[in-house]
This record gives sequence, C-alpha cells and structure tokens, in this order.
Amino acid sequence: MANIVVCYKWVLDEQDIKVNPGNLALDTSRAKSKISDYDRNAIEEAVLLNEKDGHKVTGLTFGVAGAKQSLKDALSRGPAEAVWVNDPVAAEADAFVTANVLAGALKKVGNYDVIICGEGAADTYAQQVGPRLAAVLGIPAITFVNQMSIEGDKVVATRKLGDCTETVTASFPVVVTVLPEINKPRIPSLKQVLGASKKPVTEIKLADLGLNPDDLKRKTTVKSLKGYAMTRKNVIYKDGSTAEKVAKLVAELAKEGAL
Amino acid sequence: MSEEEKFDAIIIGAGPAGIACAYLLAKAQKNVLVIERGVTAGSKNVTGGRLYTYALEMVEEGLTKAAEEALERKVVREQITMMDGDKAITIDYHDLGFKGDVPQSYTILRAVFDEWFAAQAEAEGAMIATGIRVDDVIEKDGRIIGVKAGEDEMYADVVIAADGVNSLIAQKAGLRGELPAHSVGVGVKEIIELPPKTIEERFNVGPDEGVAKLSLGCTEGIQGGGFLYTNKDSVSLGVVFSPEQAAKNGKKIHEIFQDYKMSPAIYPLIGDGTTTEYGAHLVPEEGLRGVPKKLFRDGLVLVGDAAGFGINMGYIIRGIDLALVSGAAAAKAIIAAEKVSDVGPAYMKELDNMRLIPNMKAVAGFPDILTLPRIFSTYPKMANDVFQYLFTVDGKVPTKMTKALMGIVKKHVTMGQLMGDAWRGLKSI
Repeated sequence: MANIVVCYKWVLDEQDIKVNPGNLALDTSRAKSKISDYDRNAIEEAVLLNEKDGHKVTGLTFGVAGAKQSLKDALSRGPAEAVWVNDPVAAEADAFVTANVLAGALKKVGNYDVIICGEGAADTYAQQVGPRLAAVLGIPAITFVNQMSIEGDKVVATRKLGDCTETVTASFPVVVTVLPEINKPRIPSLKQVLGASKKPVTEIKLADLGLNPDDLKRKTTVKSLKGYAMTRKNVIYKDGSTAEKVAKLVAELAKEGAL
Repeated sequence: MSEEEKFDAIIIGAGPAGIACAYLLAKAQKNVLVIERGVTAGSKNVTGGRLYTYALEMVEEGLTKAAEEALERKVVREQITMMDGDKAITIDYHDLGFKGDVPQSYTILRAVFDEWFAAQAEAEGAMIATGIRVDDVIEKDGRIIGVKAGEDEMYADVVIAADGVNSLIAQKAGLRGELPAHSVGVGVKEIIELPPKTIEERFNVGPDEGVAKLSLGCTEGIQGGGFLYTNKDSVSLGVVFSPEQAAKNGKKIHEIFQDYKMSPAIYPLIGDGTTTEYGAHLVPEEGLRGVPKKLFRDGLVLVGDAAGFGINMGYIIRGIDLALVSGAAAAKAIIAAEKVSDVGPAYMKELDNMRLIPNMKAVAGFPDILTLPRIFSTYPKMANDVFQYLFTVDGKVPTKMTKALMGIVKKHVTMGQLMGDAWRGLKSI
C-alpha cells in the first residue's frame, strides 16, 4: 500500500471573472472559487489507483482562509483525509513559494510515496509546482503523464511527448504530474458529499512548517494582469446573392492570409 | 439502514421554501439534509426578483435586517406600463412609506439571496449537499421514508419537496400529474448591468431605492406581460407568457423578449447596459387552482412552487414570499408533530394560521381576468388611443369627447365584448 498525496489549488472560477472592456482590467469581485480543473484529474487518478489496488489518498492544498470551502469538495471526490496549509501568503505565492510550502507540509506529514499534481493550474498554468516540488524534496518528477500505475514500490507512467510516448519507471517517493486526458473526474454522489464532512482534516499554519523567510519570498513579480480581448473586424457581407457573398468572404480571407 | 444515514428531515431544493424550512428545523436542533441540484443554492433559478419582507419576518423576526447585505433595493415605486407600439401609458405609484423600518419589499437577485440564506441554514447546522439531483422517493408501506439520488438512498422521517414548479418529487409521489401547459407561464429574463448612479437617475430613485414595473401589451397579444426590477447595479428585465398560446401563434420567445427590450418604453431605461445573464424558467400561473388537492402524504410535504403557491394578480406577482411562508409552516409542523403521520395535517393547519391559504383564496379568481385575451393587447391599445386623443393638439377641431371615446372603444371591441369582459372581471375579483 502506497501513501498517495494529491495536491490541488483552489482557484477563481474563470467563468465568473469579468474583463472591463475599456482598460481590460479584471473584475474578480463576484468570482466564486473551485478546485483547479486539472487538479480534479489528479485527485481522480489518486482515487482510481486506490480503488484498484488499495492505497491511502491524502489531499493537500495551500490556500487562504477561503480555501476551507475546498476541503469538503476535495474529500467528496474520494481522498480519505485532507491537509490544508492556511495562510494569506497563498494569495501572493508563486510556484517557488508554493513548492516550498507543499514540500514543508509533506515533510511534516511524513509518509509520502507518490505525489500527484495536475500538469498546471487552471488560473496560471505555469506547470512549475510539480517539478519544483520534486526538486525541493530531491525526488524524481514524471511529467505529462496520461497513464499511470503503481507496481510494488514503483510508479510506472506513460508520458505524452509531442508525437511519441515514453514509459518511465521510478521508485518511491516520486512526483507525478498528470494531463487532463488521463481520466474523467467523477461527479460526487450524495453519500460521497455527505461522507466528506466526516473525513479528517488537518489544518497547518505556515509558521509551523519551519521555513526560512527566503523560502516564502516569491521569485517572480507580476507586473500587470489584464484580460485579453480579441478585436473583431465586424464586417458583414450584405449585398448580392449568397454565392457572391461567399465569394467576397473567401477573397477577403485569402487577402488576409487566413486561407 | 444505519442510524447515521437517517435524518429527521430531507429537503429537496435549496430555494427560499427549502431553506426557510431547513433554517428553522436546524435551529430546533433537528438533523436536516438539504439536497440541491445546482452547483450552489440559487444557481438554478431565474426569478426576476422581489421579496416581500413580511414573509422573512414570519420565518424569524429580524431576518430582513440580517439579510440586508443579500438584498438589493427597497421598492418605493410601483409602475404599470401599458404599451402599444411606440405609445405607452405608465402609472407610477411612489410611496416612501414602503421604505419603513422594515421595508415592505426589496428587489433581489436570487443567486445572491439564496446563497446567503443557505449559508445561514448551514451555520445553524443544516447539511447542504449541492450538485446532486434527487431521482425518486423511497416508499414503504404507503409511507415516504427517504429519497434516491443516483445509486444512493437516504432516509428521513419526513421528506420536504421544495423542488420547484416542475416538482419531480410531487409527481413521483403521485400528488400531482404532469404540468398542463396552460397552468404555467414561461419566463425569460436578462440581468443588465448599469452603474448605480445611472439607475437612480433613470428611475428617479434614491441610492437604496428601487422600482418594480410590470408591463402589459408587450407580448403580441399572448397572455403574459413584462417585468422590470432595479437591483443595486443591474436591472432584471423579462417577460412571462403562456407557452401554449405562444406555440399556437408561432411566436418565438426570444423575438418577443427582444421586441420588449427594444420598445421605446423600455430601451431608454436599459441602454448602454451590459447583459450579463440570461435564463428561462417556468412560473405557476393558476393561483389556488394550480395547488394540488393534497399537499402531503405520510412522510412527505410539498412547499413553495412545488405546491403551486403562486399569486399573479396582473399588477402584483408573488411567489417567493409564499415559498418562505410555506417552508416555515412545514418546519413548524415538523417541530410540533409527535409522530410522522401528524406532520401533514399540522402543515395544513399552519398554512391557514400563517394566512397563506387565506391569501390565495382571496385572489383565487384573478386567473380568470388574466385569461381574458383582450387584456394583453386590445385594452392596452384602446387605453393608448384614448390618451392619444386626449393629448393630441394639431390645430384641427377636436371631435366631441363622448363621441371620440365611443369611436375608440368601438374600433377595438363590441359593446357585448366589453360588457362581458367587465362582468367577468368583476366576478373574478
């Protein structure tokens, strides 16, 4: 039996984020949060492995106070327990800080054989935390995984690399980052939702991790964060028969180099 | 079945009726589970929102004050607009008394209010499971003893169906059949964002004040009408109409709505706004006649829209208040009942005590007026013609008023129709 820790990020739901059409500023005031979509695949994969061979699955997140809401959601998806590092620093953390904090939490929790992360976060998609976490812990990382299994004390994983695949094996402990295509996350059932509130949750304060102040200083600076608006040409071909309109459209597209 | 899987009450639906019930039951230390199909409470509804606060106060005194954050504007202007193409008559009743200590009514956005209310119930200890659809009830020896959601079965002493106008649970329990098309209206609504200042200027209201407007003559003769409510920084605009008649006339919902939006009486109010939400929903339209003969079975009660509790008087539309009151009535009945079989009769008694059924009885005849076909087109047109006559000054010698008015009336209806409609109208009220 392996101890599987699955990391997830509590992110703003992009559907609720509004872009101010004038200055492209983001309005997140009404945005609800959710478990990062790709991390749902990570949780599902951990739970599937458990259902297949019987392992222990723990959910791990680093988030602000609001991330408390995420625990019930995460646990309803199958992990047996959850660990939550609660600190306002999470709001400003980059991948460097997050990896340090998660590594600190893992060391504190102790037993970890397989750490599963989503390939990237649904908000930033930097694809950094998984590999960085492995580096901090000094263990292997297997990225771009679209298939995995646990055999004894090893992980066997298939990596999707452009037009080929690579199958790799690594001994515990190991970090695996999974692609969304690896599975289809379940919709928790009523009993799973109800059961989630009875599962144990450990809340850890950042101060208890014994990290250096430098470990919590972000390496990247966000200079600006803006919405992206596609400028449309708003051309309507009104005159002439259908054939003529299509011909005009095609000619125009060809001229623009779109065809 | 293990003890821990059995609840005192399972409530299906986290709308106002379901949450009012859950809130009071949880306060009374009952073990309550609310199951909601939407991802969050309030995410599956479209009500164009007005809340009469008496109902919140009936759930618990002082609740309106506590809810203020989740409410929009205090309604101080009640408007009725009769439209005919580019003409319109608006009656505007302004009453600052409606603001009072506890204002009579607030406009609300249900997504905001329901989420707030659900959080209160949760804080009292109710368990709320979202994103889950209940598929069926579980029956044993003629009693409802639980619900089925997918593979899962969950048991309770009492199941409360608060699952809305198209209540699957009421149907499964045999308390109501399929909804006949004429018993409901289809509502479509947009939320159009506007800066608060713009709203206050356009509608002539103060910073916390709002408008509720109903419109007639905007549904191309189909039974129905338009509504508009001003929220803090948006306007809820929509139309409700008979799907049966619309289908017969071959009218498309979005076309009727678009015409309403672009009409000269409405467009200046919403111009430059940004539409941020669009939704459609069914609304119970039959008043007391749409209420099933039986509202309970052993182990089951119906509340809110699921019980058909809705009042449409043409100039006032009520539903949320009745939902809150019925949810509270169910909770009171459950708390007071010594055994499960007492709950249903106690609920009926509470509905009377809390004046819900008497309220509905008092206006039971209104659907008859609202099915008069001429209400929705002929009379608004006629009224506009009268005003056009009154206010037209073009240098020509005006027709004598009595003659002109008779002429306008005759243009639209026969005397027989007019007398008939008047008689039916009076009888209905």
